[in-house]
Amino acid sequence: MNKIRENKTMKKLKSVKDLKQLHKTLLAERKGIKKSVAICEGTGCYAYKSSAVADAFVEEIEKRGLDKEIVVRRTGCHGFCERGPMAKIFPEKIFYFQVKPEDVAEIVESTLLKNEFVEKLLFLDEKTGKRCAYQHEIPFYKLQNQVVFGNNFLISPKDIEDYIAVGGYSALAKALSGMTPVDVLQEIKKADLRGRGGGGFPAGAKWETTRNAPGEQKYVIVNADEGDPGAYMDRSVLEGNPHSVLEGLMLGAYAVGSNHGFVYVRQEYTTAIENLPIAIGQAKQLGLLGDNILGSGFSFDVTIHQGAGAFVSGESSALMSAIEGRVGEPRPKYIRTAVKGVWDKPSNLNNVETWANVPLIVNNGSDWFRSLGTEGSKGTKIFSLVGKVKYTGLVEVPMGLTLRQIVYDVGGGIRNNRKFKAVQTGGPSGGCIPEQFLDLPVDFDELSKVGSMMGSGGMIVMDEDTCMVDVASYFTKFLADESCGKCVPCREGLRQMKRILRSITEGKGREADLSTLEELGAFLKEASLCALGQTAANPVLSTLEYFRGEYEAHVLHKQCPARVCQSLIVFHIDPLKCSACGTCRKQCPTDAISGDKKLVHIIDQDKCIKCGTCFQVCPTRFSAVTKLPGGPAPEPVAYGTKVVQKSKGEK
Amino acid sequence: MDKTKSRIVGVRVNKEQETMLSQLQQKSKLSKSELLLKGLETLAEYSNLGPEQEPMQTALQRLEKEAVRHMVSLKKIRRKEEAIKDFVREIRKVDEIIDKHGCDPSMLIQILLDVQKQNNWLSKSALVWISERLGVPMTRIMQIATFYTMFSLEPQGRQTVQVCTGTACHVRGSNELLTRTESVLNLKPGETDPDLKYTLKTVNCLGCCALGPVMTVGGAYHSNPSVAELKELVKEHE
Repeated sequence: MNKIRENKTMKKLKSVKDLKQLHKTLLAERKGIKKSVAICEGTGCYAYKSSAVADAFVEEIEKRGLDKEIVVRRTGCHGFCERGPMAKIFPEKIFYFQVKPEDVAEIVESTLLKNEFVEKLLFLDEKTGKRCAYQHEIPFYKLQNQVVFGNNFLISPKDIEDYIAVGGYSALAKALSGMTPVDVLQEIKKADLRGRGGGGFPAGAKWETTRNAPGEQKYVIVNADEGDPGAYMDRSVLEGNPHSVLEGLMLGAYAVGSNHGFVYVRQEYTTAIENLPIAIGQAKQLGLLGDNILGSGFSFDVTIHQGAGAFVSGESSALMSAIEGRVGEPRPKYIRTAVKGVWDKPSNLNNVETWANVPLIVNNGSDWFRSLGTEGSKGTKIFSLVGKVKYTGLVEVPMGLTLRQIVYDVGGGIRNNRKFKAVQTGGPSGGCIPEQFLDLPVDFDELSKVGSMMGSGGMIVMDEDTCMVDVASYFTKFLADESCGKCVPCREGLRQMKRILRSITEGKGREADLSTLEELGAFLKEASLCALGQTAANPVLSTLEYFRGEYEAHVLHKQCPARVCQSLIVFHIDPLKCSACGTCRKQCPTDAISGDKKLVHIIDQDKCIKCGTCFQVCPTRFSAVTKLPGGPAPEPVAYGTKVVQKSKGEK
Repeated sequence: MDKTKSRIVGVRVNKEQETMLSQLQQKSKLSKSELLLKGLETLAEYSNLGPEQEPMQTALQRLEKEAVRHMVSLKKIRRKEEAIKDFVREIRKVDEIIDKHGCDPSMLIQILLDVQKQNNWLSKSALVWISERLGVPMTRIMQIATFYTMFSLEPQGRQTVQVCTGTACHVRGSNELLTRTESVLNLKPGETDPDLKYTLKTVNCLGCCALGPVMTVGGAYHSNPSVAELKELVKEHE
């Protein structure tokens, strides 16, 4: 397939009719293809070396001379990162997980040729003990509604024809041929699309402000500076389906009256930076970008701008000053960026996922969009479900699903059968939601009510082995490092909070510290310049509210109940269980463990750096190394104590 | 005899001698100073054979010193030339990058990113040159170079070891992984070893949370390696 395409020059489309014709031609061309295999090459699967699997598929299919009937696509993320690398067989939608290059021949032989399953690679449902072959049977996908994300399976991000074949750019054609800019704007307003980047501000209202702002030159911007640690849905959309974002951006530009757009993307997202220029180049070749698009008189061009690693640059005014070539620091927004943005021109900025929703709304109508979600929040949202959850991955669910459904039904519950403690949403600006709110429907407003926020959609699940003080300290340190330092409350307030939290995790906290933290938090909320500072206290305040007991354990008893804070915890070898196998002694990086054959091993607490190696390597049949929540360590046995001999039946 | 006299390496010679010397030089492919030294050597050997003549000896010594002095200064000049060539080469590459972005001050961050990618760090000279070409004050360039985490003002190691400290990795124990990595490499985050082999860095999210706690060595991902595995990895990439 790829070879044919290389030889074909892409002809410029001069009208909407041309685009429809191309769509038809592509469908006709592809009729001969009986099956296709989609291999996920998203970052997660890439790390599992999925490229080798894709290579093996291509080789195997060529070897058997099937390359006219079976297409191999290297696609973007499929969501289920926990079980990568993944291969999906179309049109049956059979999913194979943890595929290795050596499994490929068997898949081709039995599934692609004989329509039989390769049992061992199918998903095993632990609850029922059954293997699930099809997408709709797998619990991870059952509750999902992948309207934005779904096309990731079907298209190669490097090929615009794939996107057009699944109906891509038809929304643009629809708008350019039969809708005025105001019609498009009204459709988005009616759909009640709220910004997916964090704040949940209505996109339609923002567009209208830009449209009505004075000035000829206007800009539209894609915010792909996804800085929240542990959130990667924007990356996956941009990497896997760049054209959907571009199409949304063009529709937005058409509606607000702009002829130039920017994509601000993090430098760390190498695949996105690789795929975007290809997508833009192909769109230009087809005349979908440039002057007089599809003969409508509407002209539009896009520039890519790379970020250089600063969390605060994701804030709209900071991002715009970065585009101007200045430091990405926020400025006071007495006048909104929608009115005065890049070079003081009206600039409409939306998040990647928001833009990707636009073509869907224009195509299917606002009523369709409004049928998904809750009263206040319409549509679907992609969450990045990570942390101590069993099935890590990206999930796209309709708004209003409860946290319990997301964590337990989609995510499969907690890893290693531990107990759920909290789920952290909204990135560093969000809060931790405890177990009592598990039945909360997830949408913009409900999350704010319990002191957290939707944010860009990060969902970090925490279990009983997660220390909430440590989490609060982690986020505060992150934000203190990322604060640009322009306004005093954020710069100094965060620094003090960081210092206090660190002293608590080191066991040097005092009782008065907790009220100081609350005071500082309230002050930050009121007095900071931008959203980073205003929301920075959320992780601390929400954990203080719901998990005060843990703070008190650190302050009063100098113990870390979750056994996380390195300064407090103590590693100890149980002399009754130690079998003197010597594994821990050999692996200890600081030689803190002494012992010998048949002698109980002892940890020298002065030398121990608490890296957890001994705990990690102690064979599970002994489990002699224990982590204690706080010191002092139990008095070790004298050196030379013999191990307790176990009779053979006692193992 | 031709009376016009010229100098070779500070020694007066007449026309005849000069042609002879240059012929010799061409044949032997030696530099003038080297040739002179050779000649002196032969002379010295010759003079050692005959009866010692005081004035001849001193003259020879003087000439020898002169020639050595020239050799040394020539070497210095060559070294300087090399350094300037290196410098020009670097600046030329920076120039290419600046031109690629149309010498546009609004592309400053993009230019810095490209220079960082090419040289692995931002040298003072490169920054001064960018400042001159774009007409952007040095203070603003330094403001940007110190603001973003991508830029480094010191040379970086050939391999980057990144430990992910994103939230998902953090709750899965990236702290312990970082402590282990620090002890194996004997580096703290942000540091480079003296041989410029490794730079240890922490990153906020690598986007493969399913592998957490995760780290990369030379671009390859590794999920929660133990001390023994870390030592292996370090050895592999040495």
